Amino acid sequence: MAWLLVQLKLRLLTNALRSSTRAKSSFILSTTCAALVAVGTFTGLALLRGQSTSVDVTAVVFTLFAFGWLTLPLLAFGLDGTLDPATLALYPLRTRPLAVGLLAASAAGAWPLANVLGLLGTTVGLASSALGVVIAVVAVLLEVLFCITLARFVTTGMANVLRSRRGRDFAAFLFIPIVVLYETFTQVVPRLAANGQLTTSSFSGVDAWLRWLPPGLAAHAIQDASTGHPGTALLRLALLAAVIVALGWLWVRALGRALVTADTSTGSSRVRGRGLPFGRYGLRGTVAARFWIYQRRDPTALIFWGITAVIMMAVSVSAIVGQNKSPGVLIASAVFGAAFVGVFHANMVGWTGPPFVLEASALSGRRSLRAYLSGQNLAHGAIAVPLLIVISFGIALLTRHPAYGFLGAAVDLAGIGAALALGNIFTVTDPFPIEKRAGSPVRTTAAGYGSYGAGSTFGNLFGVALLCVPVIVAVALTSHVAASVRMPVLIVCAAGYGLALAWAGVRIAAIAAAQRLPEMAQMALLSKL
Amino acid sequence: MGEPAIAVHGLRKRFGAKEAVAGIDLEIAAGSFAGLVGPNGAGKTTSLSMMTGLLRPDDGRVLINGINVWADPPAAKAIIGVVPAEAQLFERLSGAELLEYAGRLRGLPAAEARSRAAQLLDVLDLTADAKRLTADYSTGMRKKAALGCALIHNPAVLFLDEPLEGVDPVSADVIRRLLSDYTESGSTVLFSSHVMELVEQVCDHVSIIDKGHIVATGTLDEVRGGKTLQRAFIDLVGPRASEGEGLSWLGSSSS
Repeated sequence: MAWLLVQLKLRLLTNALRSSTRAKSSFILSTTCAALVAVGTFTGLALLRGQSTSVDVTAVVFTLFAFGWLTLPLLAFGLDGTLDPATLALYPLRTRPLAVGLLAASAAGAWPLANVLGLLGTTVGLASSALGVVIAVVAVLLEVLFCITLARFVTTGMANVLRSRRGRDFAAFLFIPIVVLYETFTQVVPRLAANGQLTTSSFSGVDAWLRWLPPGLAAHAIQDASTGHPGTALLRLALLAAVIVALGWLWVRALGRALVTADTSTGSSRVRGRGLPFGRYGLRGTVAARFWIYQRRDPTALIFWGITAVIMMAVSVSAIVGQNKSPGVLIASAVFGAAFVGVFHANMVGWTGPPFVLEASALSGRRSLRAYLSGQNLAHGAIAVPLLIVISFGIALLTRHPAYGFLGAAVDLAGIGAALALGNIFTVTDPFPIEKRAGSPVRTTAAGYGSYGAGSTFGNLFGVALLCVPVIVAVALTSHVAASVRMPVLIVCAAGYGLALAWAGVRIAAIAAAQRLPEMAQMALLSKL
Repeated sequence: MGEPAIAVHGLRKRFGAKEAVAGIDLEIAAGSFAGLVGPNGAGKTTSLSMMTGLLRPDDGRVLINGINVWADPPAAKAIIGVVPAEAQLFERLSGAELLEYAGRLRGLPAAEARSRAAQLLDVLDLTADAKRLTADYSTGMRKKAALGCALIHNPAVLFLDEPLEGVDPVSADVIRRLLSDYTESGSTVLFSSHVMELVEQVCDHVSIIDKGHIVATGTLDEVRGGKTLQRAFIDLVGPRASEGEGLSWLGSSSS
């Protein structure tokens, strides 16, 4: 059974290489990333040799790997056919051999191998004797086995939930902390390290509690074996092995239940309220009501806003944690924030998908299309304006120059106007379908339309930056004017400029949409959401 | 016969090398319950999309109650209702919100849209689920909700693409009765299907489309010519499957 499921997993992986170009490039990218993670982790852990905090850092790294194994399978649920017990429920399989087989299938592939190879860096960085090296190898194998068992237990235990709409929504939200982690490792950590604010000694003492978690037990076992405490080391490994056995037992029980439990995906929720808001504002209010509701109920919309906030904070890292306190950083953050509002709303036809046909069969003529586009803008603007302004002031406070918040707010207002205008124009002139791969909660540009997605993204990024230039120039040219006079004028003028841009965007897009509505509807029908 | 509710002349659409619709002509009288039947890939959905202003034809003319769909889309869209094949709805709206949205998109005042939505949900047996998100609706409920959206502005002509595909018998009966009442009031229905029994039960006018051509059109009796519609259909579009040769093992429980 184990070999059969390992073969199944390997077959799924090799088939990816033979299928579409997109699947092939995803496979190659994933394998390359795994190799880079292996080399990077091995090198990083090996460089800890001789440092007083090497065990603390190793414990943190082991814990981060376990966290990755805990969260990523929830996002990728459905991509790996061996993760969902429902796919095997119809076959006459006994639970125990099935569990062993699924565990073996999990261990097959580039990422588990990369984990083992990378974490073996502890044989150089933390282990300091022959016994230490042996214990390190065993500890790494147990750590990876713990990660795999943990991932299996959680995905199997939550399989019913993950198949349901609510579960998929929940899994989609995991995308935000992953983006935060990514930005933290690519933006914050390098800057803090460059400033000397993050060194290995920063981790001193962090394992006071981490040492009692399974990954910490593995790290400390290596330390104990290397410092002449083999008994303690073995005790820690035994404890870790006991945790793995306990998790495995829980997982087998969960698997047994999952194989015979009904799908709960039909569970549903009821909404409150008497109906759609903004009833008295005509077609514009009707469309605004629909988009407003979607901003609250659609996880994709919430993820967009979350990522926009993360991007603004990431761009400002140099000002928040570094020495660069110039307002330029805050202005750049505002431009990026606004640009991503445009990026995320530049293909509303594709994101709406087949239901757009309901709208397309009712809309016609420039007037109704203007109302439709401006209704969208009202809903998006009602969130973008306060969100971006609050973040700009938050960043200004963190950099200890609260007045800079007004400068950021001015650019926010102009940028949001530009983003809405460009978003409207792109959604009409270059819509492209969106698709969701089976089981994945994250939606992406449909295969074959990558250039549309890239064009829309870069078009918005450059377009918003370009359209913000007048406000940025005004900020620079009026720097000698007293703030009490300068700020209100800047804000009002920037808001007026943003509104003018949004107004022009609606009119231009409506003219194009009146000619292209059937083509937009056909593109929407290609989306698979 | 007066002015037809639906008049199609020389409608044509090509996708690359494939001619999906090869210049069809069709006339459906007002008050008709008309069926457009054909095998998969015959051009049913493409034809309906062009008739409803959702797919631009390469050539041809579509008149709905005398209004040219492609010359005056606003006027044509105002008098038609459309139920697409997949019935994909705004999944984050409840059934009540969805129908109200459809009504308000069609220019109904908010109170009127809400009132009609409630009445339609009642007739469609969806009142108990009116506040549930449509994401959690079954196939039958989705089809009924889509039908409600298409009817809320009281269109003169209703186009339905595979309206009863995957729908349970109870929901199918609700939809059938509603559509029959609708046509009895003088409105027109054109729906596509490949379920011959259904077409035979409800339609008074049938057109058979195959490989982008209308191969037969007329009243139900004219098209079936004394046979069942299923037999007439098979005779016209030809048998498409082998007679099960090569599966000699099938049905044996010995291995």
